[in-house]
Amino acid sequence: MALGLQAPPSLGVPGKKRWAMVIDLRRCIGCMACVCADKAEYDVPLGVWRTIVKVKNTGKFPNTKRHFMPRLCNHCDNPPCVRNCPTQATYKHEDGFVLQRYERCIACRTCIAACPYNARHVLPKNRDRVKIGGVVDKCTFCNHRVEKGLLPACVQTCLGRSRIFGDLNDPKSEVSRLVATHSTVVLKPGKGTQPQVYYIKPDRSLTEQAYSEPVSHAAKEDAKAFYRHNRGSKFFSGVL
Amino acid sequence: MSNFTSISRRDFIKLGSAAGAVGAFGFGGRRLVAMEQKLGGQDFSATSGGERQSVPYTCLACNIEDGGVAYVENGRVVKLEGNMDHPNTRGKLCAKGNSGFLHIYDPDRIMTPLLRTGKRGEGKWKRISYDEATSLLAKKLREVIDRANAEDKPEILNEIVLKWGRNRTGGACERFMHALGSNSTIHHTDICEASKKVGLEPSWGPDIESCDWANTKYILNFGSNVLETAYFMNPNSQRLVDGVVGNKAKLVSFDVRMSNTSSFADEWFAPFPGTDGAIALAMAHVIMHEDLYDKDFVRDWTNVTAEQLKEHLKTYTPEFAEEESGVPAKDIRRIAREFATTKPATTFSYRGPVKHVYGTYQEAAIHMLNVITGNVEKKGGYCLPRGMGWPQPEPEPPKGKAPSLLASPPEYPLASHHVSTLAPYRLKKGEARVSVWMSFYDNPVYTYPSSHVWKEVLQDENLIPFFVSFSPFMSETTENADLIIPDVTYLERHDPESMPSGLYPCMSIRQPVVKPLGGTQEFRQTLIDVIHKVDPDGTLGIKKYFAFDSVEDWMRAHFDEIPGLKEQGGYDFLKKKGVWPIYGKVDPDTAKIVDRNGNEVEPDYALHEKQLSQSQMEGAEIDEQGTIRKDGKAIGVQINGKNYVGFGTPSKKIELYKENFKKYGFNPLPVYKRLPSRDKKDNEMVLSTYKVNVHTQSRTASIKYLAELYHKNPAWINSKSAAARGIKDGELIRVTSKLGYIVTQAHVTEGIRPDVIAISTACGHSSYGRLSQLKVKEQAPVWSQGGGDVDIANNVWWDDKGVHPNPIIQLAVDPIGGSQGWFDTVVTVSKAEPGDSYGDVKASVEASVKDYEETLRYAYTGDLHRKNHKEVDIEWDHLPPASLHGHG
Repeated sequence: MALGLQAPPSLGVPGKKRWAMVIDLRRCIGCMACVCADKAEYDVPLGVWRTIVKVKNTGKFPNTKRHFMPRLCNHCDNPPCVRNCPTQATYKHEDGFVLQRYERCIACRTCIAACPYNARHVLPKNRDRVKIGGVVDKCTFCNHRVEKGLLPACVQTCLGRSRIFGDLNDPKSEVSRLVATHSTVVLKPGKGTQPQVYYIKPDRSLTEQAYSEPVSHAAKEDAKAFYRHNRGSKFFSGVL
Repeated sequence: MSNFTSISRRDFIKLGSAAGAVGAFGFGGRRLVAMEQKLGGQDFSATSGGERQSVPYTCLACNIEDGGVAYVENGRVVKLEGNMDHPNTRGKLCAKGNSGFLHIYDPDRIMTPLLRTGKRGEGKWKRISYDEATSLLAKKLREVIDRANAEDKPEILNEIVLKWGRNRTGGACERFMHALGSNSTIHHTDICEASKKVGLEPSWGPDIESCDWANTKYILNFGSNVLETAYFMNPNSQRLVDGVVGNKAKLVSFDVRMSNTSSFADEWFAPFPGTDGAIALAMAHVIMHEDLYDKDFVRDWTNVTAEQLKEHLKTYTPEFAEEESGVPAKDIRRIAREFATTKPATTFSYRGPVKHVYGTYQEAAIHMLNVITGNVEKKGGYCLPRGMGWPQPEPEPPKGKAPSLLASPPEYPLASHHVSTLAPYRLKKGEARVSVWMSFYDNPVYTYPSSHVWKEVLQDENLIPFFVSFSPFMSETTENADLIIPDVTYLERHDPESMPSGLYPCMSIRQPVVKPLGGTQEFRQTLIDVIHKVDPDGTLGIKKYFAFDSVEDWMRAHFDEIPGLKEQGGYDFLKKKGVWPIYGKVDPDTAKIVDRNGNEVEPDYALHEKQLSQSQMEGAEIDEQGTIRKDGKAIGVQINGKNYVGFGTPSKKIELYKENFKKYGFNPLPVYKRLPSRDKKDNEMVLSTYKVNVHTQSRTASIKYLAELYHKNPAWINSKSAAARGIKDGELIRVTSKLGYIVTQAHVTEGIRPDVIAISTACGHSSYGRLSQLKVKEQAPVWSQGGGDVDIANNVWWDDKGVHPNPIIQLAVDPIGGSQGWFDTVVTVSKAEPGDSYGDVKASVEASVKDYEETLRYAYTGDLHRKNHKEVDIEWDHLPPASLHGHG
């Protein structure tokens, strides 16, 4: 595997792959299968998440709606985390994955500060099965699966087939077709990061923050408990 | 189970011949479109990159039985995935399914048989061996058998009770109990869906509808939260999203609470609890009186005439339904017209409408909408369930000689799925006796209405002299046992399976994906051992029913001789693939099941219109209704000169008119009965409960991934109702019913009817391991797996475990279907009083006993029955006498 540290943007570059995800929010039912599949895939400890589904309620009875917003690393084509990492622990693979080399990570949290999407976290040291901790971790687009010809675990299990994954440089791919034929948005385009997770039909108010302020008392109490326990981490505000 | 196999046998025969051809495809080629990466079926370690060993299984996180594949690394299950060969699960698992492997490694799992040393429920145990434990149980069982034989009273054998909450053993529990001569197998279906089944089954045959979601254009959802829970959540959700987004179907949902399903719907209405039936009847009124019904289907395939239905529905106007439900008449009228004129269309319903007294009528009313619009068994419509059966190993024990009062209460002759809720009251009143109470996959001290009554009875050694639990987890129920013989988790055991979870009938297996941990023993082996010890030399004549060399031997006896499967390897095929038959491959673009050319393998529709062959018709007679009989059995129905197999009813037509209901004074046609809760006082509310998408009823609170997502259950209350009571979001409240009160938190929301308060049943454990109770810093019990998970020990960040509502929920039995009226409890909601603490529960056993007496008044033997059925024209003084009829 070529490392491609600081790999130049590959979107639209002939002969290169540009892995991307489309999240069709019309199809997300908030079932949380992706969240649990991801936890199992990487033995993700309690208190941190590589992917989450944000839940938001709007409206007044009886005109109400619940909105779901799956979030994960955007695997930016121009990732600020990579630019800001002092030890070259974070790098961009030439096919588009933004990855983390644990052995180079000094947990300085610069990448966490640089990421406009709150997509990174420090791994707690106490894990069940995989004994890597105290370093920064993040979603990898399941590059270990993708390189073996499989889809990311969250896509594999997605009940609503809301998550679609593929090579955006391949005009025949499903992600290319969806991006070409639907109105999609990416998060915080103004940051110049060229994020590669495309949302179909998002509610605009949901796209701003991955870790918004909790609204209900139940969520606020959970947030308090969370920050008492995990000072350095971010809470996605739960599902209530 | 027994009802279910009768229809499956027919499908099974049908498939027996076709399946060989289907399974014989070699799915080599792939289409070069869509997601070019593979959906699944292979797995690699994220850390080492090594390929993992895969073993197929069938899920039992909840009751849907999805097909799964376990990935094993160094002898440990590290992740689960949907089985790509399963035609209904299509390679996907829900949140619970994905987290299921954590059950195996639960640090608080019971790893050895335990014998009680202190008082019941005190938590003092002595570890013993499986051999000692099965010998002790066998001795207790043998004592009962010897007493029954000595006194020549087979009814004594019914003092041996097996109560199950989730029986997916494929007949093992029944075989065990019948071998012992007892009919006292007590189910759980009446706290689940019983009245739904009783509303449907007399009309069209066993089990519940299988909607063709993906191909439909219009869906009416009555009180089901199909995108989160309900029967077949995973497969139904997949296809519902395909229908609504892919096929642009309209979804209209009726639910008192904005569930994820109702939020997903194009239109959500929140009717008063228990009035769905009024809405459905009003829609039927509109459809019939505006002549929007399917004239051919009603004439040919039902046992009623259009005129009869019009007359019956005359008073059920949309205005009447608005008065009852609060849903505007103009919307009811509009939706009825849309439903009748949009083809294909289907309804779906689950517990919302039926978990009420008279819930059976509500289900029958909803079912009728599909019948009068001719959507039954249509592509995109409301289809029959499609399951498959498998043979039981011979010889099979006969049922016990005496019917059991506990299993089949005589006051409920139509409740074919039994009435388990009454059991503790029967014991308290001395109406039934128990010598040995066995508990399998069951936790009534947590999951039943008035759960405190169960606790009291299970702790009473006079009422239950010997109590054994087979649970691998220390539940609220199991902690009261005298003896625990722990089963293994569902990933370490054998079971045959078939569920009508989609339009493709199939069968599947559960098998140990890893060797049972730490020398634990699966339930099936325990049953073999116990029977062999009860009847060591075979003189009792029951050992022969358990003459299996091994558990696998037992499984082979189910599967090895099935035509079609046999040719493909029988049980060995299932061990390798997990499911049979294999219809095709999941198209990565559309998720449809396709053949190797990418063309959809379409499921069969119009099952009732399969025609009888000439040889089947030989010697058959046709009566004036068209029913075709042979050897005294109805085998089909003749319509317009054609001989169809028809539906699973005596007439082989859809029986909207249920003669059997009338016999007991119930209305043979669907009606609406106003419930006492509808006449509640203005300041009172109706208590509703619900499941969430990441938890089962009781078994998942100790699963860390799920608990992290959802661990507390504050009471949903509408902002207006909260304001009227001076309650702010998050404040402590008292929810008070006739039984007592709980103190919980208010979750002020817009997503609920103002006169309903809703509390999820997922949380509020007082047992079930340390994580469920948030005691993770406490030392592991000596009998447990212990050691365990440093993640749980160190990283649990939440500090609230919730408050369970069941102690204040009143017992209420649907007199027809036997269902618990979960949503009939009227409560007052107020700010907590000084001195109240979060989690306080106070519930009176005496008040619950009064509910028992009160609910019997609604039974056909009770004094309220006739009063509530004035319209039924029968000889009221000559109802059939209540008699013991049932066999467990």
